[in-house]
Amino acid sequence: MNNCFIGTLELDVVTCNSMPCHNQQVARGSRCEQSTLKQVRFANGDGSDSESVEKQSEAAVNSDPPIQLKLLPLTDQIRELQTIIRDKTTSRGDFVFCADRLIRLVVEEGLNQLPYTECTVTTPTGQKYEGVKFKRGNCGVSIMRSGEAMEQGLRDCCRSIRIGKILIQTDEETLKAKVYYAKFPPDIYRRKILLMYPILSSGNAVIEAVRVLIDHGVQPSHIILLSLFSTPHGVNSIVEEFPEITILTTEVHSVAPTHFGQKYFGTD
Amino acid sequence: MRLSSSSSLAHVIDDVAPLLPMRDENMAVSVSQADVHMHQKEDGDEVEQRASRSDSGSGEDSLDGLLRRACPLTPSMSPRKRTTSQSKTEPPLLRTNKRTIYTAGRPPWYNVTGTTFKEAFVIGLCGGSASGKTTVANKIIEALDVPWVVLLSMDSFYKVLSKEEQELAARNEYNFDHPDAFDFELLITVLRKLKKGKSIKVPVYDFTTHSRRKEWKTVYGANVVIFEGILAFANKELLKLLDMKVFVDTDSDIRLVRRLKRDISDRGRDITGVIKQYNKFVKPAFEQYIEPTVQVADIVVPRGGENFVALELIVQHVHSQLEKRKLRWDISALASAHQGQPLPKTLSVMESTPQVRGMHTIIRNRETNRDEFIFYSKRLMRLLIEHALSFLPLKPVSVETPQGTIYEGKRLSGKRITGVSILRAGETMEQALMAVCKDIRLGKILIQTNHDTGEPELHYLRLPKDISEDYVILMDSTVSTGAAALMAIRVLLDHDVEEDKIFLLSLLMAEMGVHSVAYAFPKVRIITTAVDKKVNDEFHIIPGIGNFGDRYFGTDAPSDWYESEEGMDY
Repeated sequence: MNNCFIGTLELDVVTCNSMPCHNQQVARGSRCEQSTLKQVRFANGDGSDSESVEKQSEAAVNSDPPIQLKLLPLTDQIRELQTIIRDKTTSRGDFVFCADRLIRLVVEEGLNQLPYTECTVTTPTGQKYEGVKFKRGNCGVSIMRSGEAMEQGLRDCCRSIRIGKILIQTDEETLKAKVYYAKFPPDIYRRKILLMYPILSSGNAVIEAVRVLIDHGVQPSHIILLSLFSTPHGVNSIVEEFPEITILTTEVHSVAPTHFGQKYFGTD
Repeated sequence: MRLSSSSSLAHVIDDVAPLLPMRDENMAVSVSQADVHMHQKEDGDEVEQRASRSDSGSGEDSLDGLLRRACPLTPSMSPRKRTTSQSKTEPPLLRTNKRTIYTAGRPPWYNVTGTTFKEAFVIGLCGGSASGKTTVANKIIEALDVPWVVLLSMDSFYKVLSKEEQELAARNEYNFDHPDAFDFELLITVLRKLKKGKSIKVPVYDFTTHSRRKEWKTVYGANVVIFEGILAFANKELLKLLDMKVFVDTDSDIRLVRRLKRDISDRGRDITGVIKQYNKFVKPAFEQYIEPTVQVADIVVPRGGENFVALELIVQHVHSQLEKRKLRWDISALASAHQGQPLPKTLSVMESTPQVRGMHTIIRNRETNRDEFIFYSKRLMRLLIEHALSFLPLKPVSVETPQGTIYEGKRLSGKRITGVSILRAGETMEQALMAVCKDIRLGKILIQTNHDTGEPELHYLRLPKDISEDYVILMDSTVSTGAAALMAIRVLLDHDVEEDKIFLLSLLMAEMGVHSVAYAFPKVRIITTAVDKKVNDEFHIIPGIGNFGDRYFGTDAPSDWYESEEGMDY
């Protein structure tokens, strides 16, 4: 566990006090160990570990929707990747290399949130193996431009997955996010969505994108947001607006590496 | 490689064979056709040594054509190759115009606790200049018929000459035959390490500049070491290291004739210079330092390389000594010993997330086609390597961000990482490792199971230079009994890699393999995606994954070429 994270939790608590009930849940969860927050899972997740079961039952008692923020287990490797990405002296080559590694890990974790069924297969030695099979009907959606950086990571794991795109830009005058373009598979309303956006700063772009998806008939509970870094504010805004979507990230920190898209695509 | 004379010995042995007690059954028959050959190579050590002055007596420059007539060549015997401290290394395969012959591997030289139990058998060969030591050495190697024989020449250990000494040497006035001309201290260190099974570096002496070349030659993995040199018996410490001492006693007239022939016609030196050097140094040194050491010899071989009876005796003795040192360890006994024991603390099994289970389901399913098998095993490898890297030690650092704040993060501390794959199947993991670690150095170890003995055998080895400081990620796709992994770890330890810096990575392991590795090497970190309970009688993991290499490379039967009707499949 690292100190800056605890710092953000306290920040969380402060900002959350005046917020509606499900955000107080965030605060309550945050006040506990980081591991509790880390274990908070999707309602239909496997719930194999006791802490998450506990969390779910607690959520049930409060009859609030469960908290859908999930942090990747903070291994030393992930710490190193975060450090290199944040370091301003990192060369662009190293930056892209490390960002791609981190994206791959987030994507792998995101895929874990998708529904599956138990099944049994026969191995070449003629033995039975109790395994799982993932269900069809998923779809990736990237929020342009920086979300596109994560498409390849998804493609590397799911070779033939469909990927939709949304272009969102911030209006210079009103400073509001505005949707310029969206293209999805026609049956997106019945799919599970892996929404890709690396940096959650204000959360406005994601909120706009989710609105577009809902307009296309997507259920919020079918949206899994894949991101690399987020601010407590960004997470809270999204959770406040759409309590049912799942948010996956590697770090919640008051300073977001907002240079990500510029440096990844070399336009800085 | 010089072959002519060595072939002749084989012929004679064939004739004599029925009269002799049977040699080691593993070696004698099966290997005599498929040629024995050992191999060791490291980057950048392919330096050819040996220039002007040396004692490399071979059959070709022996003066006695009449002796050769007595033993006709037998071209049916294929040439033998080996590592020596003085010649170039050879490729691991021997190609004749008709077929490719696979080489013999090295059986285990360590016990179940991972410690070396077989010290190399060291034969010392002493004799005057041009007495035929190298010929005798080559013939012993030929007749021994065991893999991994190292020929170490004393010529490699000449001292580096100062400028004045170099000038003397140019005028044939430097005494190369005196004990002071050799670096005995280094020689003893090297020989002692080699005997203990360690990887060693042998200097490459340049006879034109009388100095050592920058690149030293790495020698590793000797079951038998043959050490030859004019003053091989001249040092007490050295004598203690020799298990068998052979003195090659060739008539001094013959030696002088050979020397003249070699130096004049082969090396273009003038006769006065050669004779001057002989009279001033070679002859007195022989009388003063070399000849008296015949007393410490176990065997004196008159007439050198043509003395087949003596050679056969030597070979027989070495075989019986090797047989005594042989210690087969029963791998199934090892398995039962660990049954029901808790898994070791050094084991880390990746969290079995739905995706990991899903990928396991696909690659374990026998119905899965190769395309999917490759794709999902690669995905799993990538996760495994990311998981493994999280065990590397990191140190806290503070970095400045473009946002103008300071970020407290972590970076890898200390040394670099080297990947080593156990061929064939471990090679499949290299790509995933390179995708995660930029510019990583990769080594390879080929270990195959001998189907007659069930033992793993080391066939080929190529490691990056200077890996002793590195963290080593050792990769094999599956670990069932752990036999290959044990051997690979032993090889790394012999190259002075620290045990706690070795990470053994495997997609799937059997409990038995985990136990045998952890028992022998308690500090090696074992990292895998799943541990299966059992191993069947054929040492396959149950339920397992099948033969990973065969499925990945498509070398399993039957052909599935009709399966893919679409796409760009080959």
